[in-house]
Amino acid sequence: MQPLKQFWVAEALEKDLGDPGNPESMMSFKQVIDLDEKEEFPQEIIDWLYNWKLQHYYIPTECGGEFTRFDEFISFVRVLSRRDQTAGIAFTTMFWSYLVWMAGTDEQKQILSSFMKDANGTMCLAYSEKAHGSDLLGGDMQATKVDGGYILNGEKWPINRATRSGVAFVLARTDPDGGPRSLSLFMVEKSKINPDNFSNLPKILTHGIRGSDMSGICFDNCFIPESMRLGAEGMGLELALKGFQITRALCAAFSQGAADTALRTTLKFAIERKLYGKTVFDMPQPRRTLTDAFLDILICDCSTFGVGRGFSTMPEQISVWSAVVKYFVTTTLETVVNNVSVVLGSRFYMREAHDWGIFQKVLRDNSIISMFDGSSVVNLHALLLQLRQLTKSRARNAGKNLEALEARLATTFDLTQNLPAFNGKKLELVNRGGDDVLQGLDLALASLEKLKTDSNLNPDTLYQIITLTDIVREELNNLDVKITESTFQFGHEQDPELFDMAKQYCILHAAAACVYTWIYNRNHLGEFFANGEWLALSLRRLMSNLRPATSLPGRIDDSCVVQEMIRLYNEDRMFSIVPFQLAKSQLQETTTDATPKLQLQT
Amino acid sequence: MNSIDTIQGWLVNQIAKQLGIKAETIKVTEPLTRYGLDSIDSVTIVGDMEDWLGAELPSTLLWDYPTIEKAAKYLVDEAGVSPAETATAEPVAVTSKPKEEATQGKGWGGLWNKISGS
Ligand SMILES: Cc1cc2nc3c(=O)[nH]c(=O)nc-3n(C[C@H](O)[C@H](O)[C@H](O)COP(=O)(O)OP(=O)(O)OC[C@H]3O[C@@H](n4cnc5c(N)ncnc54)[C@H](O)[C@@H]3O)c2cc1C
Repeated sequence: MQPLKQFWVAEALEKDLGDPGNPESMMSFKQVIDLDEKEEFPQEIIDWLYNWKLQHYYIPTECGGEFTRFDEFISFVRVLSRRDQTAGIAFTTMFWSYLVWMAGTDEQKQILSSFMKDANGTMCLAYSEKAHGSDLLGGDMQATKVDGGYILNGEKWPINRATRSGVAFVLARTDPDGGPRSLSLFMVEKSKINPDNFSNLPKILTHGIRGSDMSGICFDNCFIPESMRLGAEGMGLELALKGFQITRALCAAFSQGAADTALRTTLKFAIERKLYGKTVFDMPQPRRTLTDAFLDILICDCSTFGVGRGFSTMPEQISVWSAVVKYFVTTTLETVVNNVSVVLGSRFYMREAHDWGIFQKVLRDNSIISMFDGSSVVNLHALLLQLRQLTKSRARNAGKNLEALEARLATTFDLTQNLPAFNGKKLELVNRGGDDVLQGLDLALASLEKLKTDSNLNPDTLYQIITLTDIVREELNNLDVKITESTFQFGHEQDPELFDMAKQYCILHAAAACVYTWIYNRNHLGEFFANGEWLALSLRRLMSNLRPATSLPGRIDDSCVVQEMIRLYNEDRMFSIVPFQLAKSQLQETTTDATPKLQLQT
Repeated sequence: MNSIDTIQGWLVNQIAKQLGIKAETIKVTEPLTRYGLDSIDSVTIVGDMEDWLGAELPSTLLWDYPTIEKAAKYLVDEAGVSPAETATAEPVAVTSKPKEEATQGKGWGGLWNKISGS
């Protein structure tokens, strides 16, 4: 068994779901493609997951469930999402329950917990409105106070699981005068309201996640009791923004699952396909494309695990980190899927030719992840508003409380360390106390210098890691200067240049996350991880976004990364820094989908 | 000048500067949203106030006290902030301090509980 406990649920789920390449298994590529063709909701899959009791892992132990930590959660969402994002996204609307675990009364927690566990119930999040999109404060949905409750009037659209959900989290205006305290959040239990005052809009046809239950919700003079309000009146926007810090960070897991399948199925093709007397994989250019995709997945892995654990260790900084991850991981992995499509050649565009056409479905489904739950620009906007303050706190904190900083970084990034329990009340609307991840770069460089005495490490690799980490620090200093010189603006008329600065911040953040992940896990994630070539190559890849390649150290030999990718493929392991075991694929010698296992020529 | 006036003056100047409008046109009794300050801006401006006052403030201060007058009054009368003494002090590093402790110590009363949903 995998030694790290946070991967047990993911591995067990994989084992029970079985090989997605076997049409008979649950969530097989064949099954999910058939459903997609019919635009049918994956009810059988969802029922299976409820029977498996996966919903318990969305409910904290103190509320009667099995959830203890977000890094565990991220891993099993990857498992769902590598097979089918439609079902994954449908099942995982349950992560909005966090609104209740954070702000609900004991009674509300009890109601929701038993609704999820005992009634196989699900929720939807009704924030958006057709006329207002990202502008939550501009919404028209009204909640008018009356005796014992509120009267709801208005429409929410487009809403995932609007029709099938039994509970809707609805954001509505309780103060007609407007302002940030004008919204309140309601946990509307549909079974307890008058069905005559409530209806759904027709299913929305989408390009991807086609089987999703996408529609809208209309309330027409609908009475809801006061007990359905979450938190105090006027808390709606604050709760929504804090809830997004959780859900946005977790969205990364959807993208990681999708990228895994895109790479795996393309690799399978490249290994099988013969041209000019060799396989596609033997040609350096396609091999490089696939290797770079694998590196991008590892880079994103470090950020995603980091934020998953950061919820427990540095909740007051998560407003920054969740925006970084929601922007960086989802858009990077979207690019990964696009990049590898080239290697798949014409088959990327066919619906039947290779692995039941799963690639095309991944491409379509995955392209919504960077948009929903706060689009890329919305996340960059949330980040850029904090940049000046982050720069100031970095200067102010420089050289101070280093031991505490190092301890926090170690707990966050060392995957073997226990985590303190997550406390949602510690989330802050804006970052408190600076950003540990970039604050710690000097510490990281000092740790790297000490490794020079480690005879197990290749000195050239270490040299690259140190040089490139130093470049990360230099670029951070350059960015700090630019931020300080920039003129701050209010509102939504921010300069495009500020968006660029926010993007650069994300890249530096991701680079730092990779460095700590390596420093703190060198002794327990295996030889490939410990040797660090992947890190040197990843840092170079990240820094080439900020500097011309000619000013960076030359690209080192990547053959060990290629071998690791092939090993993980052959052994059916997740493409990850923690390559946990996936369901074993069965060799089907007689079908056209036969997978000859690649013999490595070393 | 008393503490309330000092804080009001600072906020007026800050907002005038950031929004590029004349300080004379800002009325301390008007809700800040009237000047185009949106909900998230009024959270980020609290960061600048914290730097200036050298104290940790609730980030939703200007949501709960949406005019310059109300915010200044609250800070001085209820939270016991005094800009003359604290403005030059070294800002406190708050990174690892639990919220409850930090706020209780500074006499925020029930405010934090109200806005953090507990
Ligand atoms: C498949 C799918 C599922 C969804 N599920 C849900 C759900 O379950 N619940 C729910 O409430 N909503 C849901 N939505 C709605 C989704 O959250 C909204 O589409 C999203 O908020 C964006 O709104 P919009 O499409 O109206 O774009 P708009 O908000 O109108 O944005 C248009 C453009 O304006 C620009 N823009 C917007 N804000 C900024 C900014 N701050 N800075 C700079 N530029 C900006 C961007 O360039 C953007 O492209 C879903 C949408 C889809 C497609």
